[in-house]
Amino acid sequence: MLDVLNILTVGVLLGGIYAIVAVGLNLIFGVIRVVNFAQGEFVTFGLYGAYAAQIATGMDPYLAPLIVVPVLFVLGAVIYIVILRPLQNDPMMQVFATFGILMVSQNAILALTGGVAYSVQSAFIGMSVSLGPIQIGLSRVIVLAVATLVTAAVALYLRHTRNGKAIRAVAQDRTAARLMGIRVETVYTLTFGIGAALAGLAGCLLSPLYTMTPQIGMNFILPAFAVVVLGGLGSVLGAFVGGFVVGLTEALAGFYLDPALKHAVIFIVFIAVLVVRPSGLFGVAGAEEVGLRDQN
Amino acid sequence: MTKTELSRTPRIGSFAGELPVLGAVLAALGLVLLFYSDDSFTLNTLAGTFLFAGLATSWNIIGGFGGQFSLGHSVFFAIGAYMTGNLFLKYELSPWISLLPAMALAAAVAMLISWPVFRLRGPFFSIATLALTEVAMALAVYFSTWTGGAQGFSVPFKRGLENMIFAERMNNALLMLGYVAVTLLIVCWLRHSRLGYSLQAIRDNEDTAEAAGIAVLRTKLIGMGLSAALMAAGGSLYMMYVRVVDPYALFSLFDVGVKVAMITLIGGIGTIYGPLLGTLLLIPLENLLRAELGASVPGGNLLVLGVLLVLTALYLRRGIIGSLIGLADRMKAARA
Repeated sequence: MLDVLNILTVGVLLGGIYAIVAVGLNLIFGVIRVVNFAQGEFVTFGLYGAYAAQIATGMDPYLAPLIVVPVLFVLGAVIYIVILRPLQNDPMMQVFATFGILMVSQNAILALTGGVAYSVQSAFIGMSVSLGPIQIGLSRVIVLAVATLVTAAVALYLRHTRNGKAIRAVAQDRTAARLMGIRVETVYTLTFGIGAALAGLAGCLLSPLYTMTPQIGMNFILPAFAVVVLGGLGSVLGAFVGGFVVGLTEALAGFYLDPALKHAVIFIVFIAVLVVRPSGLFGVAGAEEVGLRDQN
Repeated sequence: MTKTELSRTPRIGSFAGELPVLGAVLAALGLVLLFYSDDSFTLNTLAGTFLFAGLATSWNIIGGFGGQFSLGHSVFFAIGAYMTGNLFLKYELSPWISLLPAMALAAAVAMLISWPVFRLRGPFFSIATLALTEVAMALAVYFSTWTGGAQGFSVPFKRGLENMIFAERMNNALLMLGYVAVTLLIVCWLRHSRLGYSLQAIRDNEDTAEAAGIAVLRTKLIGMGLSAALMAAGGSLYMMYVRVVDPYALFSLFDVGVKVAMITLIGGIGTIYGPLLGTLLLIPLENLLRAELGASVPGGNLLVLGVLLVLTALYLRRGIIGSLIGLADRMKAARA
């Protein structure tokens, strides 16, 4: 019984990590349909940003988002304007371009750090909370809590603010949105910037949990795509729930099957969902067709 | 659309018409080998380059002509390497023979997994194939009796043509040149075959192709099977060439799966000689960068390739050969 409880706890906490990593990708890939393989790199920038902020000013990584989030918003917006906007009618070229960005980012970090692994210090590392018989690291609880808050904030933003409504309108029909007077290009740039900024936030919050290496973003990118597709493209709640589905699947497969096979299980489930039910668990209108028809 | 588009005479050509060009290209590559026949370092580089030219040419069948951007071709490459390596190690079977089951298995696996995945289009297909690579790598690490687990395995150095193991680098390079020749010959045939035309029609517009009576799924599956089989043949040659493999080397995205797509894109996707040209430019460039920057700027070679990839996606979408063909067409139209 304690075993099961432990596994479920591990799964839920892992789910929190996947949920917070996926929330930005959900905006970029789920809502505005830019296939961004460099999303994991934005998380990496968040991780290294927290490290850099700590080296420069001794700042706790939990305060680093104050700097990292605006920087990544600008970086995301610039990458969108310079590289991805010219390719908006050619999703396959977006795939290649974002892969190029991924290669540049990973190897630039490798060149700068010489491959030395970094880690950050925080006042919260080592603290834990007790939940009945189970001890949980405080850092992981923070990730889970922030993932929940950010998901709620993004959902409210998309539903109730003027910009959020514009983002949804553009996602549904770019041409009609333009005819209604929405500045489509601005909305895309804004959304991409927010998506990058959220990945940066995720990176800062994950920095106390991981040892940083240049390739660390690769650990996040495919699970993030899996989460977004599982949850349903464009569904904010879906990406949140999808995170827990992936986290629990990984924890259960790791325990009952073999730790070496846990990623294989996740990705088999992912491919199966992609093929059988591409609209995911909470697919929004039109999402079910996305993977099955030509993109324009 | 514009005048230039209307006056473009489609280049139809024929398989026989391609052969003189193919012969000239292969002769030129052979001359390069002769030129460097005393330089075993360069011959080694050329052998690796030719291997990749063959791999990229194989990828181009489904990726370029069929428009299905698989990022999971390292799976088929690995099947070739593991099949040949295991049969050689356990039964001393010549790689010339084990090529055949390797190709057959890769084609079967490719068709079996593609059958559901081909429902997905464009980037979704690419994401799914990328996920397949991860699954295959995890399985390769897990099933260590066949793969040696994470450490991999090696085959002994037993010289001889029957084992494809040579002391002379020239022989390795010639073998790889043969691989390029076979893949190019098949692509030349494909370019003017019913299968090739069907694949190109599907790439240009899947719905229209279906409406025109092309069996879309069957055509894509056959194209994928052919592409995977040739990829596996490359894997077999690679196994006997390096004689040591591990899952991380075989499935690493930037070493095989994404690299073949990238090379093809830069050289000219969907053209016969694009993958070859892309390889001839990129692999030596990468070796040079690695030699020059490797110590001072680790990862510098891949950094430069990443920049090239972004620039190609932005400014040279049809690749070098595709852009040259476009330019020639425009000049012809301007003269007419």
